[in-house]
Formats: sequence, structure tokens, C-alpha cells
Amino acid sequence: MQLFLGPYQVGNSLYPLALDLFIPTIFFFFFGSAYRVGRYLMTYKKPFVAVPIASQEVVRGKISSIERVKSLVDTFSNSSKVGLKRKPVTTTAGLLMHLGLVVMIFLLAQHMVFWAYYLPPYRVLFPLAIPESSTDGLLSLTMSTFPRTPTPYPFVHDIWGPLTVILNGQYISFLLLVLLGIYLGHKFHAFADGLSLRAGDWWFFLLLYVDIVLGLLATSHIPNNVVWYDNLLGGHILLAEIIIATLPFTRGFHMFEFYLGKIREWYFMLYRRGEK
Amino acid sequence: MEAINSSVNLDALNKAIDEVFYGEIDSTILYYLQSCVNCKACEAACPFTPTSLKYSPVNKAEVSRELYRYRFTVWGRTVGRFVGGSKKYLSLSEAETMFDYNWHCTNCGACMFVCPMGIDSGALINLMKEAAFKAGMVPKVYSDIANLEVSGNYWEIDVFRQAWNSLISKMKEAVGEVPLDKKGSEILFYASLYEAFVYPEVLINVAKILTKLKKDWTFMSKPLGVRPPIGMVLGDKDGALNVMKRVYNYFTDISPKYIVMTAGGFEYLSLKYTMHETFKVKPKYQVVHITEFLAKLYTEGEFEIEPIDKVITWHDPCQLGRRGGVYEAPRILLKALSKKFKELPSHGVNSFCCSRGGGGCGVPTLVENLAKMLNISISQEDKKFLDNTLLPLINAGEIKADEVKKIKAKEVATGCPVCIESIEFSLNYYHVDSDVLHIINLLTDNIKVRNK
Ligand code: SF4
Ligand code: SF4
Repeated sequence: MQLFLGPYQVGNSLYPLALDLFIPTIFFFFFGSAYRVGRYLMTYKKPFVAVPIASQEVVRGKISSIERVKSLVDTFSNSSKVGLKRKPVTTTAGLLMHLGLVVMIFLLAQHMVFWAYYLPPYRVLFPLAIPESSTDGLLSLTMSTFPRTPTPYPFVHDIWGPLTVILNGQYISFLLLVLLGIYLGHKFHAFADGLSLRAGDWWFFLLLYVDIVLGLLATSHIPNNVVWYDNLLGGHILLAEIIIATLPFTRGFHMFEFYLGKIREWYFMLYRRGEK
Repeated sequence: MEAINSSVNLDALNKAIDEVFYGEIDSTILYYLQSCVNCKACEAACPFTPTSLKYSPVNKAEVSRELYRYRFTVWGRTVGRFVGGSKKYLSLSEAETMFDYNWHCTNCGACMFVCPMGIDSGALINLMKEAAFKAGMVPKVYSDIANLEVSGNYWEIDVFRQAWNSLISKMKEAVGEVPLDKKGSEILFYASLYEAFVYPEVLINVAKILTKLKKDWTFMSKPLGVRPPIGMVLGDKDGALNVMKRVYNYFTDISPKYIVMTAGGFEYLSLKYTMHETFKVKPKYQVVHITEFLAKLYTEGEFEIEPIDKVITWHDPCQLGRRGGVYEAPRILLKALSKKFKELPSHGVNSFCCSRGGGGCGVPTLVENLAKMLNISISQEDKKFLDNTLLPLINAGEIKADEVKKIKAKEVATGCPVCIESIEFSLNYYHVDSDVLHIINLLTDNIKVRNK
């Protein structure tokens, strides 16, 4: 059966459907975010600061700007520093995964074009784009890791030069799948130990995992068939849309709240002690 | 945990859970409840994870998250009820687990500084502690001691009176005149009964230092509680409030410029910040730890410190350091005392908690001895409870003992009576050839007043 939705024959491919749903997704995301932020505002109680640090001559009353900046850096880095020392495997996996995701989402050439279509100023970042594969012009899974291109250029033309060997969509996708695998393994371990596990953990990680696989298959043209390509790419975008739309209701929202939490912590370190 | 089996009143607990969750969730607690990504980074910081991962901050705080989700999220009201992660109330066994978790948290704040989201799991565990207290789920030996404090009856107890009066007599022997309750003094030297019991010599040494420095100081003719406001560690907010009123009245009555204390545990934070925030008053005096006060005088050149030739270190008490922000003052003093001052591998915001404080309220034998002195009977359940608090102390203590060994410190200085007890226990248990003592005991004889 074919459904007619706008100018697209939805039944033919997921790709146009996914594109049509992007704007509603963004609306849904903003609606959810407003709900989340609204709850904070509704429960906010203005604190009574009885003993501001600055009023205390015997503790750190006066703090130089350099100390403030150093303290801000410490606040943001402490979690990783302690984690690397005491939980090296999961912390390294976590850090690399976050780095990989940020690079993939915001710098992969195909993603940049997509973002710039909706947000034209995004184009200024185009020079930083990373390619889908390290080899020039060949979208091949098997040729991804070292230059084996028939063109005179050893690497794709980008500013990353030889770094392209690792800074490319395919390599980072593999890395992400391994790292997410470690994380999922960690979750299974927690499950086996009867430790806290939440439905949201599975929701987010599994969606992300499948989404990366779909994106990888689509850009690698596996299977090499245009109908499959459209569906895989459409599926990839649709899953991403589900992730974006549900962000305010899931752990994914930490990409915004992380900054709030750390700046709050820093404020308490420097300006207000006592109960948090 | 056994200590509550016979006395759990689920109806009372349900009522208490409703009261706490509908009454106390503000934007900060809401943030802590809903922003956790379950990354388990906080495991690395908690002094109770060496005992079991079930005592990791996120796992303990999950009880309050489940109760929150049922009350405040659409998911928790619908799907969550069936797939887990959301609960209206706790069953008997869940209540027991919650009680067990409550007493495996010292509210040390270490998890907050390691959490990438800055979540204070201790605050969420405290919510459960409050609910448990309201429902009467508290080790009887502690509630008996706390009741003495809240009611004011502690002063009727001979052994307490004797301890305090003997302290004052010894102070007099050491320094001559001891001004008591002198209004308008520059310094009110504040101490609790607990300190008079566990380290009277530290208090006497402070009196010696203040006298040596010719300060206008006064001491208390009678203490204001056992360890005010002890309700803070038991989840007894109302009791703590009553005691804080008593303390605040005394502080304002004496009206000094500084209130100096030797204890850097929960009392430092409660009497400096929580008390005034609760009463919404801006104090005219400053509540300070003795290290802050002495560091100020030292940097102003009032005295010199005669150096010693020993490797010494400082254990940051969680409430004084992590929550109170007092890191520099003790280091100023200790670095002046020894060129061989070394930091413990975990220090500052990452200082490893000694695992006592709210996590058992002291070394179990000490609690038992105190109870015996007060004629408080220890039930079988309480005995089991106290015995159970020993294992985390041994496990967390191993980390602390290893750190002390690693830097080969001869003396571990600190500024909290409970830290001293628990670290002393650990160093003995693991046969580490180092001493732990209050920083005042290291400094007293080496403080040389400058001739002005
Ligand atoms: S570190 Fe923070 S975000 Fe991670 S599990 Fe612990 S409380 Fe949750
Ligand atoms: S506050 Fe301290 S004891 Fe409590 S959960 Fe956090 S790290 Fe553990």
C-alpha cells in the first residue's frame, strides 16, 4: 500500500518521510525542553544566602580571576581525572565515545550539509568537515583505513591531512560501535549484579547503536542498491529524529544539563558553601 | 537490615514518604533526581563501594528516584509501574534495603564532585533518611542519644556533667583562669560534649593557644548538646531545628566576633551555614574552624611555628573541606610546621572519606561504650546494626591506610573527632606505623608568639 503524504509517496521509501518529519521533530523537542525547564522554574525557591563566602575574612574571601578560571577548569575535568584513575576502562570508553559522537554528529560532511540546510550559518564550519571515508572518491568499507586510492591524492582533500585516517565517518563509526558495545556490556553486567538499571538506558543506547549501524550501511552502500540506500538513510534519519524528539525526556538531555550542573557546582565552590 | 525488622510500620513509612516527597522537592533536588545518566562514575568516589557495588551512590539514590518517578513523571505513573523504575511505596524488604542504604552513606559529598552531572546523591539518600526517621526507622541507640540532646536532658546525666566539669578543671589547671559565657568576648570557643569525651586534650590545647596569644576568649559553662545538632545525621530535621534554636540563642547572647570550633564534621556546616539559612538570619559573627582562625593569625604575623623534621600529611574532613571549602588554612599551618608536608594521593575535593560520620556515627565500639556510660541498653538488633558498620570501615580504611603508607607519613593530622577515630582504627587494623591526631595537638607546643 502506498500512502500519499505531501508530494511524496511515503510507501516507496523512508527517506522522504524522514525529511518531512524533521521540523515536527524539532517542535516536539522544544516542547519537551520547555516542559523540562518549566518544571525547574516551578519548583525553584530563592535561596537565602546567610553566609556569603565573600563576607568571610578567614576563609577564601578574595579569589583572583586566575583562581576562578582554574577552578572552573578543575570543576569540568575532575570527573574524568578521578574516573581515569579509579575506573580506567569505562571512563576511557565513555570519553572516547562522547568525543566520537560529537565529531560524527557535528563534523561529518553529510551531517554538516544537513544542519546547514536548516541552519545556514552552520556553513562557516564547512572547512572542518570530515569525510565519510579516508580514501578519495571510493565509498568502500574495505578501503577505509589506509590510502589506496587511484587518484594522485593520498587522502581526501580536507584540512585534517593524514589525520583523516582516523577522522573519517567509517573509522569513527566502528570505534563508536565498539565503545557502545563496551557500555552495553557494562549495562548487562550491572543487570546481572542486580544494580540500578533503567528502561531509559536501553532506549537511548539501543537506538543509538542501531542508528549508527544504519548510517554506516547507508553511506557504505551496503547493499549496493538505491532502494535500500533510501530506506537505510531514511531509517537512520528517523531513528535520529526519535532520539532528538525524546531527548528532553531521556538521559540524552545531559548534553545540555551537563553545563548547568557543572557551573552550579563551580558557583557553590567559589561563592556559596554549605548545603547545596 | 536487622536493626529495624521488628519495628517497621509501613503505614507510617508511606505517610512519611508522601510528606518528604511532596514537601521537599525543589529545583535542586529535582535536578538531582532527573538528571542522572546512570553512568556510575560516582562509584569511584564513595567510601562504601569497596564493600559492595550495591552501596554505590547511584544505586542507593535509586530508591528515592523510583518514588519520585511515580509521583512526578508521566512515565512513572504509566509504563514505569509495569516495567520497573517507579514505585508508590516500599514493601517491607524494600524498606529494609532502604534503611541499609541510608546507613551506608556519610553524606560526604565525594560523589557530587566526581559525578559528571554534579549530582549530590547524598542529598537524595538524606531524603530517605528523613522519611525513615519520621517512620521511626532509626537505630534505637542513636535515637536515645539524640533524644537526650533534643530534650535538653543530657545535662541531667552525671557522666556528662562530670566530663564537662572535669574538662573545665583541666583547662583551668593548664591556663589559669577560664572565662565562662563571657558576653561580648572576641572569641567564643565552642565545643560539644562529644569532643569533651573523645579528645579533651585537644580542647585544653586550644585554651592554651588562645591564652598564649592573649586573646579575649570565653568558653561554655555547659555544652549545648551531645553533638549538636545530631538530628542532622539521623534524618531528624525537627529535632535538629530545636537544638539549632538553642545554639543560635547562645551564640547571639554571647555575641562574639568569632566562634571557633575544633570539629570539622557535620556540626561545622550545620552551625555555620544550615542554622542561619534555616532561620534566615545573617550572623554578625563568623563561625570558623580552629585551622581557619589560626591560619589567619599566622599570616598576619601574630605567631611563628617552630618547624619539625617529620613527614606529615592532612586528611581533609569531608564536611570541612569538600562541603565547607576549608582546604588552604590547615595547609598553611602544616607547611609552616614541616618542610616534609606531603599530600595524600586523594586530597582536596577528592579526599577519600573515612566512612564514618553519618555512615555509622563513629567506630561501633565507641558508640557501645558511650551507650554503656549513659545506661542506654543496646538491643540485639542495634548490636547487629553496629557490628555491620564495621566491615565498610575496614574496607574503606584499607584505601586510607594504603595512601598513608604510600607517602610514608609519620603523622596524619586532621580536624574532626570522628575522622581521628576511624583513621586511627584503620591504621591499627592494617598495622601502619603512623599516628593520626588533631592538628591542634601537632601545633600547640610549636606555636611561638611574636613579640610585638
Ligand atoms: S556519576 Fe552522576 S550521573 Fe553518573 S550515575 Fe552517578 S549520580 Fe548518576
Ligand atoms: S555522599 Fe559520600 S557516602 Fe554518600 S553516596 Fe555520596 S560518596 Fe557515598
